[in-house]
Amino acid sequence: MKRSQQRLALLAASALLAACAAPSPYEKPAPPEQQTETPPAETRPGEPPSTVEEPQPLPAPVVREPTLGAASRALVGQAQTQVATKNYAVAASSIERALRIEPDNPLLWIELGKVRLVEGNYVQAENMGRKAVSMSVNAPRAQSSAWKLIADSYRARGKNIEAQEAQARSDSLNRG
Amino acid sequence: MALTRKTKRTILAGVGLVMGGLLIALLAWIVYLDRIITAQFEGRRWTLPAQVFAEPLELYAGQSFGADTLEQELKRLGYRRADKAEAPGSYSRRGAHVDLVNRRFQFWDALQEPQLISIDTRGNSIESMRNGRNEDVPIFRLDPLLIGSIFPIHGEDRVVVTPAEVSPLLPAALKVVEDRKFDSHSGVDFGAIARAAWVNLRAGQIEQGGSTLTQQLVKSYFLDNRRTLGRKLEEAMMAWLLEVHFDKQDLMNAYINEIYLGQDGNRAVHGFGLASQFYFGKPLAELQLHEVALLVAIVRGPSYYDPRRHEERVRARRDLVLKLMAQYKVVDERAAKEAAKRPLGVVNTGTLAGSYYPAFLDLVRRTLRRDYREEDLTEAGLKIFSTLNPLIQSQAEKALTQELERLDKARKRKTAQLLEGVVVVTAPQNGEVIAMVGGRQASFDGFNRALDAKRSIGSLVKPVIYLAAVETGRYHAASIVEDGPVEVKLANGKVWAPQNISEEYYGQVPLVRALAQSLNLATVHLGLEVGLPKVTNEFVALGLERQPPQLPSVLLGALDVSPLEVAQLYNAFANGGFSTPLRAVRAVVDAEGKPLKSFALEVTPVADPQAVYQVNRMLVQVMEHGSGQAARAQIPPEIVVAGKTGTSSDYRDSWFAGFSGNTLAVVWIGYDDNSPTGLTGSSGSLPVWSRLMRSIGTTSWSAPLPEGLEEKSIEFMTGLAANPGCGGENLVTIAVPSGTQLPAKSGCETSVFGELGERAREWWRSVVR
Repeated sequence: MKRSQQRLALLAASALLAACAAPSPYEKPAPPEQQTETPPAETRPGEPPSTVEEPQPLPAPVVREPTLGAASRALVGQAQTQVATKNYAVAASSIERALRIEPDNPLLWIELGKVRLVEGNYVQAENMGRKAVSMSVNAPRAQSSAWKLIADSYRARGKNIEAQEAQARSDSLNRG
Repeated sequence: MALTRKTKRTILAGVGLVMGGLLIALLAWIVYLDRIITAQFEGRRWTLPAQVFAEPLELYAGQSFGADTLEQELKRLGYRRADKAEAPGSYSRRGAHVDLVNRRFQFWDALQEPQLISIDTRGNSIESMRNGRNEDVPIFRLDPLLIGSIFPIHGEDRVVVTPAEVSPLLPAALKVVEDRKFDSHSGVDFGAIARAAWVNLRAGQIEQGGSTLTQQLVKSYFLDNRRTLGRKLEEAMMAWLLEVHFDKQDLMNAYINEIYLGQDGNRAVHGFGLASQFYFGKPLAELQLHEVALLVAIVRGPSYYDPRRHEERVRARRDLVLKLMAQYKVVDERAAKEAAKRPLGVVNTGTLAGSYYPAFLDLVRRTLRRDYREEDLTEAGLKIFSTLNPLIQSQAEKALTQELERLDKARKRKTAQLLEGVVVVTAPQNGEVIAMVGGRQASFDGFNRALDAKRSIGSLVKPVIYLAAVETGRYHAASIVEDGPVEVKLANGKVWAPQNISEEYYGQVPLVRALAQSLNLATVHLGLEVGLPKVTNEFVALGLERQPPQLPSVLLGALDVSPLEVAQLYNAFANGGFSTPLRAVRAVVDAEGKPLKSFALEVTPVADPQAVYQVNRMLVQVMEHGSGQAARAQIPPEIVVAGKTGTSSDYRDSWFAGFSGNTLAVVWIGYDDNSPTGLTGSSGSLPVWSRLMRSIGTTSWSAPLPEGLEEKSIEFMTGLAANPGCGGENLVTIAVPSGTQLPAKSGCETSVFGELGERAREWWRSVVR
């Protein structure tokens, strides 16, 4: 019967949650206000048996888009001016300064990749993009920009099929 | 018998001939000396050793600098505290507020003009920064510490200064103390020589010298202290010749840049520019009266008047210099008296300024030798911007020497030989080498173990094997391997039968435990299952230059690698599967400040980030439950670190390589002659590593869990899925590919529902979508 299947599923889900309850030392618990995608109430299944705790909807991954600190923002701004005057080495050096302050920020790797791209160093542009992808877990916007950078670097090398694939990943992340 | 006219004429002619010959010889000698001395003088004016700078300090809001730390850093850079910060290189402080005026400095990418920066700190961080026009300053770079120069083999080091960079006090003081007739004599001051001779005769020993500054300059050029008459004559003649060719200003400037002023290991400190850095940690232009007087005092005998060793003696002479300066109206009486009250103000060699980093400079030199000729480095006045962090360097030196002393004391078997060690520290994300110690005497300029000691790395190879295994997709941290007897028939017919360090077998163990406890037999089984070609390729992929031989003994680390190469290998782990060539130099500019070369940051993906993450989580368990556990007593509990011990056969080498969020450090300890030390990686190198990591306040390793992986809780000993609620013991969290099914400990079978639960989750998602 459909109803009992649902109950079984809920039971299993709650048990699974309990099993996952061991604290993980590697990630700070996310601030609760950042949790998104609470399912609409009307889709909530029927009342579970009273012996089982009210199951919480399984949390969707917490979206954590990176932002730049004030110092990095200033340095990236500086770099963009330097790129405009074709001062690529100096621009890259400005972004490297920011990276020393925030080495884990994918946005900076993307910026550095963009400098490499206009410089014509397409392989490094792609690599910076890949580095940024690996760092933008649960950050679809940053990841989309990273894939866009990868797509651009492929396009610049005439690798159109790869470029299209990368672009598609970028687009789908953007939509999501 | 009267001489005939003819004979007389013959004699006269003979004398004339001899005289003529002598005259010609004299002239030839003069011409010869002239050639030598002018060549020397002209040549010296243009040879400038390349200067090497440390990484500059960046100030920005949020930077973890309280006012005290900030003041310390400024002092380290030789900034002078003043009531009001106005002159470049000075600062003032009121409580949590610091004002500073930076020095003018030509970076490779920009010229930094002096300006007022007002900094508000709160607690342990910078809250805001404003400039003289009260505008917000988001980030500001201070002029970097000069850490050394690349000087020629004979060991003379100098920082050449132009007359504009010299306080007028210095030449004035030199004249009144060393050579009062400098402005008028023509190389030699006979009055001074007579006076000195008289004084010395009466004293029965050499008390006073009569050499002019010009003569001292000549003497310094030829590094000859013989006091023979011929030598003196030659010196006087050369001094005269110099005076003929060059004006006084040129000679004074040459003297200021040439004269010997101290010794630092192999390095001879020449010139007041370097001496100012060496003794006071700041540029010559910023010296105050009492400091100028001290340097002038040292001229007479840098070893006899070494201010770090003979404080009283040097103080007396400094005060004499000040008295003379007042007496000859170079300064007024009151200023001289005030200056005489000041302490010597010499920085300790341990306080970084004036310290010397031969191992690191050697790496810089080797890096640049690929692009530049030796002469360019020692003569062309290049400015080299390096990656060295002096603070971390000094902590690394301290950690190594203190632990080595402790270990040497604890030796049961006393040997004449002392343990040696190496520390290499990098910033994993950009591959910058931020510190490098090449031996227990960090300032000893000799064999650079960090680069040249190729030693067996033992279990440091294991993470590479585990990475190769995880990358196949057939293994994860909870996969079971057999820790049992191994026998491999080698090509030469012999049988290879390795053992665990404990000489025991541990049976069925999960990968995470085999790595954490560094089980040899489990690792050999795993490596052989994965295949030697795959394993040895992995080394090359991660950055090892030469492919290791495809021998089973490689699986246990029979592989000779230098500490720097180990750092390169582990950097790929710390950097999440991306390799970035380690670099010690950011950029090089020429004497005019024009950029010549920059060493840009490059990254290359070399391993599957998911696989690397899984291995890194196992390396965290090395520290939590395995051979790296002892570090936990030193490092704050909230700081996550990852690493691996290494011990070579017969305990010849003790290794530890590990990383936190922002720092990777590799430590090696052993004897130079490769004799056994009795130390494991845990008992030797790990304490150095932990001490270093604690002292630099490192950040947590906090790479995000990649998509496609999930965390599971398992029993460390068995690898069975378990959690505290079902009586699981000694639990560890590992990362495995999402959807991986793990056998559960009995009583923990909730995960039997795992698959069902997963289906429920999918169903739930489909409902809410």
